[in-house]
Amino acid sequence: MQQQEIHKFLERYFHANGCEIIDRGPGYMTVQLTIDLDKELMNRPFYWHYLEKTGGIPNPMQMTLITNQQLSPPHIKGEVIHFGSPRLHQIFDSARNLAGYIRLYENHRQAPGKQVPLRPWLGMNIRVSYQCDRKRDVFKSIGLQLINGQMVESFHDRLLGMSLTPKIPDYSFTLSPLIMPGSGVYRVANFIKAEIEQEDHIWADEARKRWQKDLSLLEHFYEEAEEKGESYENEKTALQEQYEPKVNISIINGGLFYLTDSAV
Amino acid sequence: MTVQIGFDSAWQDEFLKRIDDDGPWGNWELYKLAVEVENHTTIPEFEGLQAPKHLPNLTPLPHQLEVAKQVVESMNGKAILADEVGLGKTIEAGLILKEYMIRGLVKKVLILVPASLVSQWAMELNSKFFIPAVAQRKSYVWEQCDVVVSSIDTAKRNPHRDIIYSLDYDLIIIDEAHKLKNNKTRNYEFVQNLKKKFCLLLTATPIQNRISEIFNLVSLLKPGHLGNESAFYENYKKDSRSLNDDAHLKELVNKVMIRNRRADTGIEWTKRHVETIPIEFSQAERELYEAVTELRSEENWMGSSQFSVMTLQREACSSREAVYFTLQNMLKRQEQPPIAFQDQIQYLIKKVEAVQQNSKAQKALELIQKINDKVIIFTEYRATQMYLQWFLKQYGITSVPFRGGFKRGKKDWMRELFQKNAQVLIATEAGGEGINLQFCNHIINFDLPWNPMRLEQRIGRIHRLGQEKDVMIYNFATKKTVEEHIMKLLYEKIHLFEKVIGDLDDILTRLEFGSIDDHLVDIFGKSASEGEMRIKMENLTSMIQFAEDLKEGELNAATGNS
Repeated sequence: MQQQEIHKFLERYFHANGCEIIDRGPGYMTVQLTIDLDKELMNRPFYWHYLEKTGGIPNPMQMTLITNQQLSPPHIKGEVIHFGSPRLHQIFDSARNLAGYIRLYENHRQAPGKQVPLRPWLGMNIRVSYQCDRKRDVFKSIGLQLINGQMVESFHDRLLGMSLTPKIPDYSFTLSPLIMPGSGVYRVANFIKAEIEQEDHIWADEARKRWQKDLSLLEHFYEEAEEKGESYENEKTALQEQYEPKVNISIINGGLFYLTDSAV
Repeated sequence: MTVQIGFDSAWQDEFLKRIDDDGPWGNWELYKLAVEVENHTTIPEFEGLQAPKHLPNLTPLPHQLEVAKQVVESMNGKAILADEVGLGKTIEAGLILKEYMIRGLVKKVLILVPASLVSQWAMELNSKFFIPAVAQRKSYVWEQCDVVVSSIDTAKRNPHRDIIYSLDYDLIIIDEAHKLKNNKTRNYEFVQNLKKKFCLLLTATPIQNRISEIFNLVSLLKPGHLGNESAFYENYKKDSRSLNDDAHLKELVNKVMIRNRRADTGIEWTKRHVETIPIEFSQAERELYEAVTELRSEENWMGSSQFSVMTLQREACSSREAVYFTLQNMLKRQEQPPIAFQDQIQYLIKKVEAVQQNSKAQKALELIQKINDKVIIFTEYRATQMYLQWFLKQYGITSVPFRGGFKRGKKDWMRELFQKNAQVLIATEAGGEGINLQFCNHIINFDLPWNPMRLEQRIGRIHRLGQEKDVMIYNFATKKTVEEHIMKLLYEKIHLFEKVIGDLDDILTRLEFGSIDDHLVDIFGKSASEGEMRIKMENLTSMIQFAEDLKEGELNAATGNS
């Protein structure tokens, strides 16, 4: 992510959260936070607690972010944001937190007068992490039609090509799902698990070999001790945490999407 | 073999709850942003670094990338980075730090470096890595800033220490970590008590082959990995140097330590030219030296050890001021100096006063005028340092002093003065560490340190990455003095100067005979005759050569096996 992309990203993030950008220039922006975003980002629970108890006038903070120190005027003071900076990570996390669940309808342009049925889809964006002493991630986006069980990949990309709205459009009605959302999630999870099980896990075998080697090295230093003690157990646990191969499936976000027949 | 697959069900529970409650539902724009974030933060391959893609102001060298990769991929972020001086350990540490920050694994960072390097570290991390590192100046910084650079001496003092102890650090970086090899020191205890997830120890001095040093440094990184202390020492006798014979220990050290040599890097280094410049004493200087040397035969030279005689001898080779200073101190140290002692000192002071010129300083002046470019002069003695500054000024040559005791700001300032306004920098030993002067390529060793590692550190200040010219080193050695002996032994017989530092490290650590200093004191201080001195010197030389041969043999064996 280059600095310019970061700048764009921040603008979109604050905009999406209803914050006004009160000053902007090359390489920087000053944002008036909303109450919600102040609570989300500024980490001052006591202030908000106090305010709610006393009924004072809330005064959310402003924040100046500098995305390019070379371009920003020297008198502008603020936080320098770069890829990897804790603030950016916090905002990344916040974007995930604030949009974990969603429900949207396709904003179709059907001629008025005719009622259009919208089919329910379960959409899930998923991260599969292959983890041992090293790590690798794979992003998957799965869509499951909750009536006929049809499953599609790259679902998110398909959604990006549609016009979507949080309110059900006029002249539309939703079809009731035959597959309940709970079992839909279950189906998606099983599908991904089955896929993973099919894969070749050489990486895991290699990690186990490295693990075993480190273990035997550790054993060597303790082999003559009768009582191996706590530090030995600690080290052993640490090695397990470091090397033990596992795959974790986690959900970034997802929700219900009501789409026309022709959409997918 | 199958792999354990975990599924995070927390999302599902909340999702079903929101369906029941009919919301609240997220915003589509944010939802899309979250997916974009994901695509930016996923690590698509087990191997490889993310950081270099995000560092437009930096082109790391291959060996630096390799180190960062190895630490992140195979060492789990716990490592001793022991590259030779001048290969860019700061860059390596910065790369690793950046990589962890990008992966979101590291947020809170403490960087402990020598006081003189605090600003430089903070500046490099900011400009080359876009890491908002802050040089610690106020005590609230610890809690408020995520990446703090400080000197260990500041950090270990209260109120700082208590605050630091209360914090959980994700990564701790310690520069010049060889100072932590003794676990009885306060610095060691301080570092040991820090709460840390990852830890990088940077040192130019490799772990000496002393078992206790290995135990101590490895214990900082991986407490308990070597078994408990007493059991460990039972197996590997505390001061034994049998490390090389123990495959397990060696393997372990390789798991936590990376060491690049200049030769391995494939980078074209500028050359080193070494010139020994013999100095002829004036009559008065010679008399002072002889007078000091005679002290050795005095039966009851009050309370003075062989060592102080040696010290005086070496000082006499440096400047009369250095001798004078030490004599005064010796006098002051005794509450009621006996008359004989006072007389003795007075006699020597007379000799000091008789010296009218400094032959070395004259030579230095000639040389500086001939070079007509920036020069660094190293001396072991502060008195000499002050004298030289005064002396050069008489001839219109500008110089700045540099000492280990200077505060951080002053060091930065002196370095800058030297770069912009002065022709000469005069540094004492302690000042040599932790300052980078690659814009200069001439060094005068006004007097020689006995420990060759110290000499290497001096040269390392200018012969490092970024040095574009060949480096010129001029060694002053006064004829027919202890200095000339040292010169012959250390710097000619074993061809120390021609060696690159890596070989030197190896050779010195392989020597099974403790500190070089001790040997020299024994040779020059305790020998009853010239003959004895010569024999002892021959012995030392052949031991060093033996160690060298040993190493060569091992190298050949190693390459033959692989």
